[in-house]
This record gives sequence, structure tokens and C-alpha cells, in this order.
Amino acid sequence: MPDNVLDAPAVTRRCLLASLLTAYTASLIPWALAQPVDNADQGAFLAISAILAGRQSLNAQQAKRLYDALKADDEGFPKMARELLALINDRKIAPLELQQVLDGEKSPLAGVPRKIATAWFLGIVGAGAKARCLAYETALNAIIVSDVLKPPTYAYGVYGSWTAKPT
Amino acid sequence: MPSNPSTWRFPILIIVLVVTALAGEVASAADNPDAALVEQGRYLAIAGDCAACHTAPGGKPMAGGVAIATPIGSIISTNITPSKTSGIGNYSLEEFSAALRRGVRADGQRLYPAMPYTSYAKITDADVKALYAYFMHGVETVDHKPPETRLPFPFNIRLAMMAWNWLFLDTRPYAPDPAKDAEWNRGAYLTIGLAHCDDCHTPRNILMAEQNSRLLGGAELGAWFAPNITSDADSGIGAWSVDNLVRYMRDGHASGVAQAAGPMAEAIDNSLRYLTEEDLRAIAVYLKTVPAVHDSADTKPPFAWGTAGDALSTIRGVAVPADRDQWSGARLYDAYCATCHQAQGQGSFDGGLPSLFHNTTLGRANTSNLVMAILDGVHRQPDVDMPGFANELSDRQVATLSSYLIQRFGNPSGSVTVDQVKTARAGGPSGNWLVLAARLVIGIVVLILVAVPIIALIRRRRSVSV
Amino acid sequence: MMPDVTAADFVVIGSGIIGSTVARRLAEAGASVLILEAGPRVTRGEVVARFRNSPRRSDWMSPYPPAPWAPHPIYQPESNNYLLQAGPYPYEAEYIRQVGGTTWHWAAHAWRNVPNDFKIKSLYGVGVDWPFGYDDLEPFYQEAEELMGVSGAPNTGSPRKKPFPMEPVAEPYAMRRIRERLVPAYEVVTNTTARNSRTYDGRPACCGNNSCQPICPIDAQYHGGLAAQAAEQAGARLIADANVYKLEHDERGRISAALYYDPDKNSHRVTGKTFVVAANGIESPRLLLLSASDKFPRGLANSSDMVGRNLMDHPSTSLTFDADEDLWLGRGPQSPSSIGIMRDGAFRAEHAPYRLDFTNISRVDGTTRALIAEGVYGDEFAQRLRHSAARELNVKNVLEVLPDPNHRITLSEQKDAMGIPKPQTHYSIGDYTRKGHERSQRDFRRIAELMGGSNLRFSKEGDFANNQHICGTLSMGDDPKSSVCDQWARAHDHENLYFAGTGVLPTCGTCNSTENGVAVALRTVHHILGEQGVRPVSAPPGQG
Repeated sequence: MPDNVLDAPAVTRRCLLASLLTAYTASLIPWALAQPVDNADQGAFLAISAILAGRQSLNAQQAKRLYDALKADDEGFPKMARELLALINDRKIAPLELQQVLDGEKSPLAGVPRKIATAWFLGIVGAGAKARCLAYETALNAIIVSDVLKPPTYAYGVYGSWTAKPT
Repeated sequence: MPSNPSTWRFPILIIVLVVTALAGEVASAADNPDAALVEQGRYLAIAGDCAACHTAPGGKPMAGGVAIATPIGSIISTNITPSKTSGIGNYSLEEFSAALRRGVRADGQRLYPAMPYTSYAKITDADVKALYAYFMHGVETVDHKPPETRLPFPFNIRLAMMAWNWLFLDTRPYAPDPAKDAEWNRGAYLTIGLAHCDDCHTPRNILMAEQNSRLLGGAELGAWFAPNITSDADSGIGAWSVDNLVRYMRDGHASGVAQAAGPMAEAIDNSLRYLTEEDLRAIAVYLKTVPAVHDSADTKPPFAWGTAGDALSTIRGVAVPADRDQWSGARLYDAYCATCHQAQGQGSFDGGLPSLFHNTTLGRANTSNLVMAILDGVHRQPDVDMPGFANELSDRQVATLSSYLIQRFGNPSGSVTVDQVKTARAGGPSGNWLVLAARLVIGIVVLILVAVPIIALIRRRRSVSV
Repeated sequence: MMPDVTAADFVVIGSGIIGSTVARRLAEAGASVLILEAGPRVTRGEVVARFRNSPRRSDWMSPYPPAPWAPHPIYQPESNNYLLQAGPYPYEAEYIRQVGGTTWHWAAHAWRNVPNDFKIKSLYGVGVDWPFGYDDLEPFYQEAEELMGVSGAPNTGSPRKKPFPMEPVAEPYAMRRIRERLVPAYEVVTNTTARNSRTYDGRPACCGNNSCQPICPIDAQYHGGLAAQAAEQAGARLIADANVYKLEHDERGRISAALYYDPDKNSHRVTGKTFVVAANGIESPRLLLLSASDKFPRGLANSSDMVGRNLMDHPSTSLTFDADEDLWLGRGPQSPSSIGIMRDGAFRAEHAPYRLDFTNISRVDGTTRALIAEGVYGDEFAQRLRHSAARELNVKNVLEVLPDPNHRITLSEQKDAMGIPKPQTHYSIGDYTRKGHERSQRDFRRIAELMGGSNLRFSKEGDFANNQHICGTLSMGDDPKSSVCDQWARAHDHENLYFAGTGVLPTCGTCNSTENGVAVALRTVHHILGEQGVRPVSAPPGQG
């Protein structure tokens, strides 16, 4: 499997992510525009993922695993993701305001960004007894600090290496 | 050989000298007219790693009594302190030299080739003199005699060694090669003489004599493997820099290349790490010129294999199987290895916890040392650098894990089977001793028979210490 | 069915760090020893694998799922209602029923008390005095430290006759900066921990995995699993999955047998000459209460009615804030440094003493959850995460609780899967402790000020976090009317029944209870071996 969305192989009936975006959302994630996606549902998930994560790339294999898990956890998820993307496309909502807007409007979609953010940043899908950890070392919150910290349980280094000032 | 002035730079040695001198049991200065010579001898004794066999763990230096277990009985190292009743205190210089370089005791008895006298035969007269001075004046006298070695017939016929010696013992001391510089000659002298690297690293023929055509070409050492250290780039150490070789011998590891474990770690702990930078460099320079022994299966240097990577997607979000023998390699790696070597095998930030790709242990077609590192760990006195997992992992788990490691981070031509792990756990192959003995009994002079298993068994013993 | 019978000189119930240590010492002295452990055997690798797969990484119980036949309390994702709460304040104890017990996850704090902790009644008019003093326990502290491999700073108020087996663990950069910036107002000391600062007893030095809780993946810290292993190596026999539900006694009141269920609820009977109950501060009193008989209707060892009472722990409140420099918690061990100046003083007549404890737990997961809750998405997420991960600090107090008979463990009307009544707690936070909390807020503010702190977040007023240091429920004392056992931890009511565990500690001081429990238990062993004529274990073996 490719490590990066940008080198994903072509598969029949795929479309480019750009075809699902408006000019506004395309401007948020220019790096992902040429990304081929299997279908509109996955495309919507990937587009929202990219918008929420604020990263310059996302691991395609991880994206697929998280999407599959979110769908397995809630059959209605793909549809809600599509609706959320449509909402962002239409109303040009900034990522930082998205949650506030949805919460303020008591939108039925308010839980969707949190689900997607929890999946990417914490690697966790599902809640309560149904929660599963699909990514730990490769969850984005570990990647974001990986130049300074190791995820807990991973050795920082040989004895005493932690006394040095982090750089 | 001229004395080595850099010896004096070793504070540890000086402290040891002062302390033992103050202890009063060591022969007094009046008996010891040449302290510099004694000190030179001490350094040479370390280079020759005499203590490895003659100092018992926790025992008095050079007092012997180390039992070397072999299938034909224990060979017990002797007291070589200057005790007149129990040690070698009555030895003349000539008798000392004969024991060291010819394998003949003062009473005329032949030593078993547990004593690496075929290598020590290359020691120069000057160094023998220094060693003699050290053993007579620098070692504390211990008046305790370890039990005699008693091997069953026919192995108890020490005279048998005469024939073997006649065939395989080259009694000429090292003669410098005038075409090479002093550094190279010093390195050769140490490598195949005093430090007897060839004792483990050179494969043996059917009579357990070193194969000169494959000098330092790599050999099984019980459950471990003493690798090819000839100049071949892919099979040996030809692709190592001299600096990395020096680092390895001094520190026990060279970042991004290899770490010492098992018998090599012991050799470093007891001997190599105390050698001067000049001597280590000389050994490295010499090794880089040893005629290449190449195995066509080796297509790149062992440390050039592998890349970072993981199989986390196969285990995250998947419940941990209750039957641990059914765990996948990725799962075992996650639970036992990734903690230090990290999720993608990349090691710690500073490399202090080594990466598993670009790592000789995983890049060799011979996987003995990988299995043994997992079972026994990596020990550098006084530290546990890596704990062993013999008590935590089953044979099947070690095999599954090893295969995963090789495929992901190493040379994929290697393989590890459950049987291999089982054999390694038991201390290495043992069945071949019977085959060997049978052949020998049929074809070889009975007297020669004695030497063969003994050398072999010594090699085996060196591998099961830890 | 007819129970089968097993016998031993000593039957130890519970294989945690303390029970196993007792079993080891008895076995080393040549006695036949049988350990009964309610829970299963578990390997370190499994725990590591489960933690990394856990969707609840901040719940340190999540890698330790309870065995159906020997449950322990869990609270996430929802409570399993094993430890029932009778109020008024919840006492949500966490402990592990498996071979090795609860120290599979701990911060490895291995503090000694300070000498005055042994006599707070005489000195300050509060609580009770211990039946012996610091000096009596000193050699056993040392023995415990050599067994466990303890390192620490010399300046922590607990005098010692011999040095620590190891040097203090290397100080994380963040802790160094805290120490430097708090001078001279506060002296920040390296914690006393059973964590290796060098190879010790065949175990490696710490590698800064920052997961001491819930699992040290390299055994650089000591734990009960190692203690159980050592006990077995010394010759003790350990039966796992043996859930003891009743102790039997003879006519004279001597304990004659322990009955246990295996996972299929077959009953087994174990006889012994001497019984040592070492099943922690909740399960031990539970077992005594479960063993009520016609002769002992209130339960065993309970003529004083003190079994299960005087429950104590260490409540904590805390302050989280952002320092004015990058410190990056999460490098090195989780709990490296403390301030000990409030552990003792005349103020103890008025309010609880406390230790101030700096966490070094990575802030990454907690911050991530907070940012998601806040709805921070896009580029800003990474910036905010890095900022908090680098700057966020937390200091908490570890408050003393006084013994109060109303704080107690009783049997619930509800039963567990084996049909055994579940334990139930009655607990509250007393005024003494609350006043200590109030006093500590001054220190919190001052510390934040000295660290250039901003964004101060005090823990919610009235909320006290628990530290899982279960003490007092089997209190020792000289008076059989007010204590469960004597100074040797022998039940006042039963000649051949001893206790080992933190339940016997009469007061809890300001430090984690494990080392006190181990040292007191070693003193018990010394007494047992002396009294029974078995050759006492000679000098504690140095493990270095």
C-alpha cells in the first residue's frame, strides 16, 4: 500500500477528489486535489479529514482503515460525511469555526467532525465499550510531536538521554 | 617487540597496579626490578585475555578453577599465579615460554588445546619475557590448587597432543612482513597471535585445525556464529571503516553497523576495550587487508540491508489473541521489541538504542546471532544492554519473531525455524559431535583423536557462557 | 463436590508485591509455602500489546481486564459495579487481581515515612501512633529497598543507616528547570523510586518509556510480578486462579484451612500451619468478613469491629498551568520529582500534611482530547498541541487522611459472578484533609508564579483524585479493642493468622504506601521466623 495519498494507484471507477470540492474547499487542501478516491463517500471523508487535520498529506492506507471503521461503527456515517462536506462547500465555513457553527445550530452533523478528528488525532473510532484503537504510533497527535517525544511505552533513549534540553 | 608506552595511559591499569602492590601479597618491589616490564606484561595478558579462562567469576585473578564443560568431561583451568605450591611460581622463563607457546608444562605434560598455544606460539620472545615478569611479579599469589582435569580414556592421554602439535603447531614467533608498515605488522601480530581472534573466527578442518585458506572466514561457535572478518566487502568487514572497527572493539558497538553480544561481548569486556587506540587501530588496519573470503550468497554488506517500516495496520484495532503462540511476528515485535527499537525499527533519537535495519545481526544469511540475541540478550559488563527473552518467548514465538525481523529489516535470504531455536536454546548443535567422533575413530590415529574434540568443545564452551 | 486438599507450612493469600515478598522470604528460610492468587498469570508482553491497542490509554486499568471469576473494579467505559459505593464521597479504588497484583502499574514510588509519621497522636494530637517507631522499621526499609532496587535522593527527611542501592534516576530536563526556578522558595527533590538507574538484579536501567503506569515495558521498575517470580524461584508454590472465599478455624480459633474456587467454581481446600492474608486493603478485610462463623459472627479477627474500618488513601487536588518556557513533559519516567517541605510540621495539629508532586506524564493525549472537545481543527490544531505539550505543567498534592472508623469496607448485598458478596465502601473527605488541600493552594499559586505560569486551571473544587494507596483496614496496634492485629501483624484474635499488606498501616502519612507495606511485612517475617525457630533470613541479600 502506498504511504502517501499522492501516489495511490489508479483503480477503475475512481474519481479525483477535486471533483467533489468547490473553489473554497479546494483552497483549504490544495495538496489533495489530485487524489484519486474510490467513490464519493470516501472522497467526502477524505476531504473533511484533510480540512480538519490541517496536514499537507495523509496516509492513504490509514485513511481507508479509519473510514472502514467509522462506517462499521455507524452505517449512517458516509451519508453524514457527504452532507457535512456539502455544508462546508456551500457555506464556506472555516475549519476553526466549524464545530462552533454546528454546535450553535444544534446540527445533526455536529458529531461528525469530532468523530473524524478523534479517528485521525487519537486513532480511536467508536465510543464506550465499542471504542477501538486503530492507530497509536501513527495517530496524528503522535506524528505532530514525533521530533521531540516518543509515544508512551516507547523508550525515549538510553538511560539519562532525557536530561538534555529538547531541541 | 618493544614495550608499548601508551599502556601507561590506562588509568585503570595503573590503579590496579597500585592497589595490588599495596596489598602486600604481591611480590615486593625488591623482587621486581623492572616495574615497566611487569606493566607491559599486564597489558599483554589483557590482550591475550588470559583471565577469560584462568579467573573464575568472583574469584582471585589467574587462580584458575574455571570448569569448561564438555561432553567428555570438564577441563579445569589451572592456577597460574606465582604460587610455588599451586601455581607457576617455580617456572623458569624457558618453562613459561614452553607452556605458553608449545603447550608443554614444566613437568613435561602436554596441555590440552583449550589453551590457545597455537596462536600464542606467535608471541615474540620479548613479549614472553614481559608476560613472565607480570605473572611472577604482578599477580597476587594464590596457594590454592583447583581440581585436576580428569578426562576419560583415551582423552586422558595427554601425550596424544604431541602428534597433533606435530601436524598443526607452527612454532615460529611472528616475523614482521618487511613489505608492510609497523602498524599493519602490529595488527597482524595481535590478531592472529596474542589476541587470538583466529581461534574463534577461522573455520576448522576435520581435525579441528584452523583452515589457513579461510583465515578469519567465519565459523560456528556453538549456538553463536563468529562471523567472517576478512576484507570481503559483502561477507566480511571490508565495507566497515577503520574508525567503526575501532569503535566496535572499544565500545562494543558501532552505530548503524553492529553491536557485540555473546562471546564477542565477553572478549570486548575482558580484553579488547582495554587495548590502546593504536593497537585497536592496528588490528582494524590489518583486518581490512586479510585475504577476502567471499560467499556468493552475500550480495551486499550485512549492515546495508533493510529499511524502516511497520505492520501496525495488521495489529491495531485487532484484539490480542489469547494463545500467544498464535501471535503474528508483527504482534510479537510490538510487544517485545518495538519498545526500544521503535515502531518502525528505527531505534532511538540518538541511536543509543540501535535501529534494526542497517544492522549486521539482521543482515547476515547466518541467523544464529539473531536467535541468540533474542534468547540471551546483549550483555556488556556490568550492564544489561538488552534483556534476553528465553524465559518469556517460546521456540515458536522466537522463530515467528525472527522471521518477521529478517523479512522486514534484514536480509530476506535468512530464515529461522522452530528447531533452530530449540537447538540454540540448548546451547547449539550437539549431534555433529557423534558424527565427528565416529569418523575420527575410524580414520585417524587414536592419539590425534584427543585434540580434536577438545578444541571443538572449547569453542562450544565459549559460546554458552553469558 | 468433595474438595481436594493441599497443605503447606505457610499459606499466603495474595501474590502481590507484599504477599510474594513474604512468601519468598519464608521459602528461602526453608519453609513450605503455598501462594493462592485469585487472578490469572499475565505476561508483560500482553499488557504492552493491550495498552497500545487500548482506546482508553489514560485509563490505566484498561490493559488489565478483570477475570470473570475474580473481578476487580473498573470504571471505564462504565463501572462494572464490583466495588459498590455507599458514599457519601466515592472511593473508586483501582487494583489488579492477577499474579503480581496492583504494582504491575505503579509509579514505583518507594518512600519511607518520615520519623514523625509514626507518632502523630503523641506529637500533634491527631490520628494514632504506630505500635513501633521509625528506628524499629529502618533495617526493614533497607531490606525492602535492596530487594526492590530502590534509588533516591538522600535529602528527603527519612534518615538512613546505609546508602540507597542505586543513585537517583537521572532528572528529566523539565524537572531540572522546575528545580532551578523554584530555588530558594522550594527544594525540589528526586523521588525515591523502585526504578533502576543502572542494571540491577539482571534488569536494565530505565529508558524513559514514560509509561510506568500502566506498564513498564522493560522491567526497569520493580513490581509484584517479579516478586512472585522470585518467590517461586525460592521454592514457594503458586496457584493462580484460586479465589479464596473463606477461611476456616478450629475450636480454639486457630485458622485451619482456606477454601478457594477455581474458575469453574469447583471448591478446593488448603490446610496450613500459619496463614498470611495478603490480598490488599479491600480484598483482605472482605475475606475476613466473608469468613464469619458461629464462633466469630462478625467475621474473623474482628472482635474489635475494626476489620475494614479506618480506610485511608491519599486524595489529591492539583493545578495545571502553562510555563513560560518549553519543557516537554513526557521525556523520562512519569513521576520524577517532589517537594517534601510540607510532609511534617507543627501544622499537623491543624491540617493534613502533604507532598507536592510534579508529573512528567506526556500531555499529548490529554491535550488532544481537550482540543477536539473545543473543536480546534485545521492548522491551529498542531500549533496548539505542540504548545501545550511543550509548556503544560501539573503539580498535585498528596494529602494525608486520618484514620476514621466510619470510612470502611463492608460486604455488599450484591454478589459477584462466583456468588460471593462484593465489597462496598463508605468514605468521605474529612476536614483535616480539606484544610490541607486549602493550604496547598498557596503553594500551587507560588509555584505557578515562579514558573511564569499562565492559564491556571485548578482541579474542580470539592473533587479529590484518588491515588490507590489503600491503608488502615487491618490496622495494627497494641490494644485489641481498637486494632485488628498486633505490631507483628498477627491477628489479635487468631494465633496463626498474619496480615501482610498496606491494610495493616495505622496511618498513611504523605507517601505511597507500598514500601511501608513491604517493610512492615519483612518485619513480620523476621518475627515469624524468630518465633517459630526457623533460622531467620540473614542479612538482606544485596542484589546489585
